[in-house]
Amino acid sequence: MSTTDIDSKHPLELDQARLSVKKPEQRYDKQGDMPDAQRVETAMRHFVKDFGAVAATYMESCIHCGMCAEACHFYVTSGNPKYTPIWKLEPFKQAYKREAGPFAAIYRALNLKKKVTVEQLEEWQELLYDSCTMCGRCTLICPMGIDIASLVGLARHGMHQAGLVPHELWAVAERAEREGSPLGATPKVFKERCEWLAEENEVEIFVDKAQADVVAAMSSIEIMKYPDSIVATAKILNHLGLNWTFRSDGYEATNFGMLSGNNDWQKEMSMKLINATIAAGAKLLILPECGHAYGAMRWQGANIYGKPLPFRVLHISEFLAETTKSGALKTKPLGKTLTFHDPCQVSRRGGAIEAPREVIDGLGAELIEMKDNKGLSWCCGGGGGVVTIHRADTIRYSAFQIKMKQVDDTGAELLVSSCSNCRQTFDDGQDHFHWDKTMLSLLELVADNLEDK
Amino acid sequence: MNEPNTLGASLARSGVSRRSFLKFCTAMASLMALPPSAAYAMVDALNRAQRQSVIWLSFQECTGCVESLTRSFDPTLEQMIFEMISLDYQHTLQAASGEAAESAREQAMKASWGKYLLIVDGSIPTKDGGVYSTVAGISNYDMLVETAKGAAAIVAVGTCSAYGGIPHANPNPTGAVAVSDIIKDKPIMNVPGCPPIPSVIAGVLAYFVTYGKLPELDHIGRPKVFFADTIHDRCYRRPFYDQGKFAKTFDDEGARNGWCLYELGCKGPTTYNACATIKWNGGVSFPIESGHGCLGCSEPNFWDKGSFYKPLAVPLADNATAITAAALGGIAVGTVAAVISRKHQSDISKEK
Amino acid sequence: MDLLQFARGPALTWAFVIFAFGMTWRLAGILLLKRRPDYSEPRNAVSWPGAIKLIVTRSWPRREFVHRTAFGQTLGYIFHIGLAIVVFGFAPHILFFKGMTGVGWPNLPNAVIYLSGAITLGALIAVLGRRLSHPVLRLLSNFDDYFSWFVTFTPVATGMLAVAHLGARYETLLAIHILSVALLLIWFPFGKLMHAALVFVSRGSTGALFERKGASI
Repeated sequence: MSTTDIDSKHPLELDQARLSVKKPEQRYDKQGDMPDAQRVETAMRHFVKDFGAVAATYMESCIHCGMCAEACHFYVTSGNPKYTPIWKLEPFKQAYKREAGPFAAIYRALNLKKKVTVEQLEEWQELLYDSCTMCGRCTLICPMGIDIASLVGLARHGMHQAGLVPHELWAVAERAEREGSPLGATPKVFKERCEWLAEENEVEIFVDKAQADVVAAMSSIEIMKYPDSIVATAKILNHLGLNWTFRSDGYEATNFGMLSGNNDWQKEMSMKLINATIAAGAKLLILPECGHAYGAMRWQGANIYGKPLPFRVLHISEFLAETTKSGALKTKPLGKTLTFHDPCQVSRRGGAIEAPREVIDGLGAELIEMKDNKGLSWCCGGGGGVVTIHRADTIRYSAFQIKMKQVDDTGAELLVSSCSNCRQTFDDGQDHFHWDKTMLSLLELVADNLEDK
Repeated sequence: MNEPNTLGASLARSGVSRRSFLKFCTAMASLMALPPSAAYAMVDALNRAQRQSVIWLSFQECTGCVESLTRSFDPTLEQMIFEMISLDYQHTLQAASGEAAESAREQAMKASWGKYLLIVDGSIPTKDGGVYSTVAGISNYDMLVETAKGAAAIVAVGTCSAYGGIPHANPNPTGAVAVSDIIKDKPIMNVPGCPPIPSVIAGVLAYFVTYGKLPELDHIGRPKVFFADTIHDRCYRRPFYDQGKFAKTFDDEGARNGWCLYELGCKGPTTYNACATIKWNGGVSFPIESGHGCLGCSEPNFWDKGSFYKPLAVPLADNATAITAAALGGIAVGTVAAVISRKHQSDISKEK
Repeated sequence: MDLLQFARGPALTWAFVIFAFGMTWRLAGILLLKRRPDYSEPRNAVSWPGAIKLIVTRSWPRREFVHRTAFGQTLGYIFHIGLAIVVFGFAPHILFFKGMTGVGWPNLPNAVIYLSGAITLGALIAVLGRRLSHPVLRLLSNFDDYFSWFVTFTPVATGMLAVAHLGARYETLLAIHILSVALLLIWFPFGKLMHAALVFVSRGSTGALFERKGASI
């Protein structure tokens, strides 16, 4: 089935509030019109390509203890063993043992591990995409210390090359590659929005300065759905008196190349930001309230670039924490209790765990931690591209119930986080369950409570 | 002489009192754990018994088995044996020599054809036509085959005749074999030990003379009554094994305290014999009691089963070289596998 | 050559050879695969403390995971510790190691060993029962899981039988016990028993990488 066929069979409404496919049925999406045998070949080759020493160690170390299931929100809320995290990697592991491991020749000669079949890959599409947010909780529970979440990210490379990505995720990624944004926030649209927001809010929003010390990036979710974030960013950077700019040649921090599993797209998307920051001569790139954007640039950016980046990279929450601690950022006290939802990719996976708490402290708010908090918090269930995949809604809503209970149990007045995809997932969950808690953005909270100068 | 040639008459002639005779029979029966009635059966049978003709062939041996039998603190017991049987041929003990000795053997064979007991000690060389041990120009092999033909039963005394013993050990230059390797058509009882315990030899002979058959034997022909249990299971030092108290050298605290000798190579656990109960030298002691581990001398191939001082838990071979070579080989093969994998991966990368 | 001589001799020699060859082959084959350099700016300059930390702390689940995993984890520890007591505490076993390496250590009384062996057998049977009945484990388990269980169970069982003189003559039971250990050694490099070595590599890699990022360990 070619791309146009799938578009007409399962039309996407790209400008809707929530990207979704009408009437999703059980299906295994395929992109392109490769014959099945070629899909398998391609998937296998690209699986094999990814096995360095660390990935190989992980593939060799699993002892089938089953503990990873107990950490995964999808297994815990459904009781379905197929969501066991390491099980998601079964064809990937098969490929490893048969083609790349130390005993590969023996495995092939005695056919001890069968060749992966296209049926297997189709069946595994759901496991690798619909039911994994790469949140990394499984990595924390594994007694062998296997980083299962990163392996899922690697396995997606082969799936993408073989054209076996869930259609919505593939479509937004392709759009991002083609237009520069998964949600239609093209450079033109972005510039227009900035102009309009600057006027509406009487805030100076700098775009395309030739030289600046700080380049700020945004995510398309914010640009299209939570545009106040743009205003908040501008307000704060202006309040701090910094020489900053947005760049229309590099503003999109999300990386659907990474999420869908396309290495080339991932590289192109990251290089836009990197080149723009360098072109501006900036020494600091601030990443927006987004989860995977942090991992993509802070930890993988330099490796895509091929050498250390000539500028610092901070998540907006880290930037706010630094300026709070230095005293440069001054806020009015917020006399409320709040609880903080840790975005998995920033906190557990990214290491920026204390930063939001320092900001909250600076805000003078009383933080009531959830019972499982910081690096051990539960995933919202929408990351890793899952919120784009409509057929995953049922299991995502099940998983979301964990979050609702976590938040309700704290009894806090406000619910805050620092990732707009989490925010989008919470909004959708709130709507579905008619929940009474709305997620707030830490960035916007700070901007709204800046001390008047 | 017209005196009856019964054992009873013979004993009386020697001045052995009836009381001593009864004591002997009771002791033998008790030693073999036979019921009390057996003692009376033995008295009756032995009294009336025609003295059993015994031919003793000594082959490739050290004479230790004969020495053991005759080495006794209690002359009554072993001398009793020589009253019960008519030892018609035995190199060490007989008075005759040369052709007279050989003709005594042939006469005894003829007179008691089918009824004489053949005792053999020493292994039988088979290499080069069996030339390595001959008597009167006849190879041990030929003499065994010829003498076995009319025997009622054969008793292989000592580990050499029972299993080949020390001559059989690697490299076995004479091609030494056991009696049971050559004779296949006669009942054979193996009484191994290097040497066997004197009362064990005496006991089994008394049994044969009394009952006219061999006692119950185990799967390698040893009388169960003496060889059913291991030294380990009857050893007085067993409590120390169980408590985990071992002598580590021959003069450390453990050795001086009489602790278990497992760590010094004792083969008690895999050796079947009566040493731990009957002991040696009239019950004075046995190797373990004297502070040295059991060598396992009543077992087949005991000499080849590894150093006497290497505990049973230690592998027989010195594997260090093989393991090192294997490890180096593994690193080499693993490296090759990794290189092939890396090349495969870079080929795939280049494809795009 | 009788069965015991064979077991103590060529069987063990070949088992050691295959063990050494297989272990080094597998480890070299994994560790020599490509490693990519990391050019990102580390949050923590020194990574190795994270490796040590993860190696140590991952031995017991974190508070947040305990109530869902304590049962399986405890069963696993019972048989691992029981096995360790038997393998490393029984005097003949210590002599086995001393004969190979020259290094020995004080032994435990045999009664402790027998009790530990019995508990280990019970725990191993419980663990097998769990693997056969738990839905996640049923889905994951393959030949490797069951065969590795078998080659672990059999030496303990045959060792206990030998000590109890149950089922055959002692020297036969001892030979079978040694042969079962040979089988364990031969299988070791090729299945999941390799986790004994890999646990340090896998935990250490993740610990170092995560410490570098300041990520949760």
